[in-house]
Amino acid sequence: MTRRNDLGSAMTGMSRREALKLGLGASVALTIAGMNARIVLAQEGQVLKVANPAFNQDWSPLRGGGVPYRWNSVWWASPMYFDSEGKIHPYVFTSWESSEGDKVWTFKIDPKAAFSDGSKITAEDVKGSWNVSAMPNTKNQRADQVLSKVAGFAEVSGGSAKELSGIATPDEGTVVVTLSEADPIFFMRLANHIAPITKAEQSRGEDGEEIADWYTPDSGAVYSGPFKLTAIDIDAGTLTFEPNENFFGPKPKLARIEISSIEDNVTATSLLKSGEFNAHTELVTSTIVQDLGPDFASGPIIPTSQHFWFNTARKPMDDPKVREALIRAVDRDGLMKASFPDGPHKKTDQILNSVPGADNSGFEPYPYDPEGAKKLLAESSYGGPEKLPKLLFVGVSGPAIEAAAQFIAEQWRQNLGISAVDMKPQQDAYAGPDQNAVQIFRDDVGTRVPDAVSYLQGSIASTSSNAQNKLGGYKNDKVDSLLKDASTKAADDPQRVALAQEAQKAFRDDWAFIPWYAQAMSRWATAEVKGIDKNLDWQVAKPWEISVG
Amino acid sequence: MLRYVATRFAIWIPSVLLVMMAVYALAFYGAGDPIKLIFLRAPGDVAYNPERIEAIRESAGLNRPFIEQFGYYVWNLIQGDFGNSLTSGRSVWAMVKAAAPVSFKLALCAIVLTALVAIPLGMIAALNQNRRLDYIILGSALFLWAIPAYVAGPLLMVGLIVLLPGVNVPYGWGGVFDIRILLPLIVLSFQPIALIIRQTRAAVIEVLSEDFVRTARAKGVPEIVVALKHILRPVLTPVVTQLGLIMITIVNGAIFVELVFGLPGLGRLTVKALTNSDYPVILAITLIGSFLVMISNLLVDILYPLLDPRATDAKRSR
Amino acid sequence: MSTVQAQPAPLAEEAPVSLWRDAWYRLKRNRLAIFGLCVIVLLAFVALFGPYLTPYDFLSQDLEARNQAPSLAHLFGTDDLGRDVFSRVVYGTRTAFLVAVVVTAIAIVIGTVLGAVAGFFGNPFDRVIMWLTDVTMSVPNLLLVVVINASLKTPIAQWMEARYLETLNPFYRETVWIDFLLVFGSMALISWPPYARLVRAQVLSIRSRPYITAAQALGLSNRIILTRYVIPNALGPLIVAVSAGLGTAMVLESAFSFLGVGVNPPTPSWGNMISDGLRVWQHYPHLLAAPAAVLGLASVAFSFLGDGLNDALNPRGAK
Repeated sequence: MTRRNDLGSAMTGMSRREALKLGLGASVALTIAGMNARIVLAQEGQVLKVANPAFNQDWSPLRGGGVPYRWNSVWWASPMYFDSEGKIHPYVFTSWESSEGDKVWTFKIDPKAAFSDGSKITAEDVKGSWNVSAMPNTKNQRADQVLSKVAGFAEVSGGSAKELSGIATPDEGTVVVTLSEADPIFFMRLANHIAPITKAEQSRGEDGEEIADWYTPDSGAVYSGPFKLTAIDIDAGTLTFEPNENFFGPKPKLARIEISSIEDNVTATSLLKSGEFNAHTELVTSTIVQDLGPDFASGPIIPTSQHFWFNTARKPMDDPKVREALIRAVDRDGLMKASFPDGPHKKTDQILNSVPGADNSGFEPYPYDPEGAKKLLAESSYGGPEKLPKLLFVGVSGPAIEAAAQFIAEQWRQNLGISAVDMKPQQDAYAGPDQNAVQIFRDDVGTRVPDAVSYLQGSIASTSSNAQNKLGGYKNDKVDSLLKDASTKAADDPQRVALAQEAQKAFRDDWAFIPWYAQAMSRWATAEVKGIDKNLDWQVAKPWEISVG
Repeated sequence: MLRYVATRFAIWIPSVLLVMMAVYALAFYGAGDPIKLIFLRAPGDVAYNPERIEAIRESAGLNRPFIEQFGYYVWNLIQGDFGNSLTSGRSVWAMVKAAAPVSFKLALCAIVLTALVAIPLGMIAALNQNRRLDYIILGSALFLWAIPAYVAGPLLMVGLIVLLPGVNVPYGWGGVFDIRILLPLIVLSFQPIALIIRQTRAAVIEVLSEDFVRTARAKGVPEIVVALKHILRPVLTPVVTQLGLIMITIVNGAIFVELVFGLPGLGRLTVKALTNSDYPVILAITLIGSFLVMISNLLVDILYPLLDPRATDAKRSR
Repeated sequence: MSTVQAQPAPLAEEAPVSLWRDAWYRLKRNRLAIFGLCVIVLLAFVALFGPYLTPYDFLSQDLEARNQAPSLAHLFGTDDLGRDVFSRVVYGTRTAFLVAVVVTAIAIVIGTVLGAVAGFFGNPFDRVIMWLTDVTMSVPNLLLVVVINASLKTPIAQWMEARYLETLNPFYRETVWIDFLLVFGSMALISWPPYARLVRAQVLSIRSRPYITAAQALGLSNRIILTRYVIPNALGPLIVAVSAGLGTAMVLESAFSFLGVGVNPPTPSWGNMISDGLRVWQHYPHLLAAPAAVLGLASVAFSFLGDGLNDALNPRGAK
């Protein structure tokens, strides 16, 4: 008996304590070795270490969206760019002018502009890059924003042509664009990285389609931005960028940029805290201010805003009185407090923000008025909360959105007695004209151009994807005609802003959304990182100025 | 033996085709179109242009009838072509080839760790049945069984950082001999260890009451010799039969462990493919998962008679 | 425990009753199992009546009292919207039990019927059913549940809404039915194979026993033999499996809610509370600790009870 016990305790003792000791010893030794190795590396120069929230399988710069898009400006040049204050700067294009009533635009390419192998950026490269971005199979998510007004875009985008007929290249340094309709702000639409400038013969195959994996170092790709991609391992989720010696702009300060995929936000936060990383692609947590300080997520407010949109085609949202009641029943100060009590985003009452005309728009904020809301619901065709069908929210993903949606639901329960509410994280299966089973969509709207008209054309004009899919085929003729008028006015014409403001007021009377917040473009970098300010294109505005120190 | 394996294989093929067709049909008719998802999933100002999306779907072959698409897929599969991911355009084979070894290595290590830890502990518990040591081991096993991997993982990881501030966050994959494998491995092994401790304990208790063990003890054979010589073999039998179950536990647990520790394995690939309704990837993973379970069941059937010769006829007859 | 004692007598009146009584006697002496049983009874009570007894409504928010640490006013503290975590955990108990019972019940019915048929009638039933078992088991269950969830939820939700607009019957407006019956029903559809295998193995071993042979010789119909003699005798191992299965189903529910395919907010479930708590647990550990501890307790309790039942109903292993 005793012997059996001895045997038992000896074996457990061994397997637990000793193993633990051995394991700890080994891990400490390895850690010290690892830290030494890193110190040596750090002396080579300043390294920006970025934690990326996803193992992206596709880093092509031509997608016009997704997580990789946010680093496009690091390795690609754009025609022009906006700084973090919204001021436009020349880049590959040094000058632009329009003729024939803003229908034809002539752009001059910087004669010094070159790729990372030293070869010149020519008009053919610009044309080829835009053509390949417009091809459907390139799956560029936002090419329409840049190119939709270029003559021939509809044909290329719909798969029936391979060349944008509106682009001409009279010489190596000149691009002439003919539009299908006049657009006084066309030049502004180019100042982003949605369709960056690539070497056309590398990115575009004989058949006009994008060449698979053309952008990797293994394919011998050349880059137009301040850094070049020197290593990429998609399976491990790591990328390394080093300065491009032939970059035609200012010399980059960083010695290297390393991007590693860290999916879990809690882990990423501790890595940032411990100093192993000093930047993040997009880190949204409810405790980010407590964890990493107020500066980590701070940034300029950009013309993008987040709202809860009502699907006006869906019961009970087809009744304007129900919509008005639902909006009046929500205390939007509380909504902000429930979701982003510490910032960085700002509460907003309207769609427009951070564009000329947003501040004095004359948009009367929706009031918080529970009594009036109750009365309206009783007067509506549904007669009260019992007869309403279940209200389904989609796009409720992430802690802040969950908190906001649950706050709204609770306000409706308290103030109107509505209890049948459901929430789903994804929009996918529910969205789109053929699968409209949803009453409320949470999504953002915005523009890459500091212009009120293009902001509203992308959110409430009946042609916009937002109006068609999220607002349930919303169409207000007054809004449409005001915006159409406005879009023909010059950028500096006060009428342009005034008409847009009118359109937004007309939209207000339809009671179709619960305004939430105006988005801050967070820097997502620790205090030691300087010059990483981002712009309304969600890009680092001047990547050559990033420094770590 | 060879013929037996071949038969099993032949039965497996129609089953997996059936399952794949069911999965494909569910994804195809319900889960949303992968091309539309690319555009709908993106925030705000994305250009949802119906003609453009139709053009993409057409060139990806998604507008053809379901049966035609599935037939086409199977035809390509027979020729060894897994197709390309609809979301990223990458070859599915390349994605699986990169992800599978990570998961397999992790699973193999977990099985080894489980066997090394759980069988001795189970035996110790049984030899001390109803004494304090037994309660401690059994209690810990039940406790481990009760903690989900997605709770244990983050807790251990952050606990480690808090306790040992100098240690790097154990995140990512560096291979089997990298220190970072430790935590995911431990978390992944929790449930299998608990399972095997209980199995071993029960089996040993049963064997201890058998006559030949009593005889050996009565003869004064040292306890450890009795344990190793007479008990280990019968004990291994139920353990081996649980291999399939362990495999399933590990495959399912791996999804959480891989997410929490950022391992680029099959589990993470699964979750990604499902959220994007990326059919070719989902189908490839179904195929692999099904293959794994089939193989581990086959192994059980082959190993079982070796361990317990009495069972040969009964087991084979099925 | 009178229900256990009142089990129908399988063959002769005397022996089986004493078998159950015997088992109960052995179970009573197993302190861990009794602990498990007490916890489960308590949790079941909480699930049934708890939501009516809590001091707060599990939905009501108080933005002035967000993320408060546990105190006398809020036993488990409050969450990010100022809701009382204790009340939410209590309501989550109901969610957990509902899921566990629904999943296990469906899985057992399917598993028992198929297993008994396979074991008793032999080929060709046996071959087909075992093939089906293999097919079902060979798919990663997470994958199947997510796919089923993603593809069937929308059409069913639409159908329910249409019914609601037609009839105005609040039954069709209940979120719970879609979440529970669909997601967890689909979970059940893939978790029957272990039960089927277990019952089949039991039936095979019972079938060869003398009293069945005798019954067959007496000319009793297959159905009577199956329902009166075979299934009751296979009950012991099944009860053990059920006890384990209930615990597993609870953990599975929380796993799926963790991945975002289970119970949707604002309905509380331990799983979605844990996944919310995991995001902020360094700052507000109580938000993770409370639901995780209760889930762990429930799961441990079912393990203890299952283990004790195994020892009690399978006396050969004990002592």
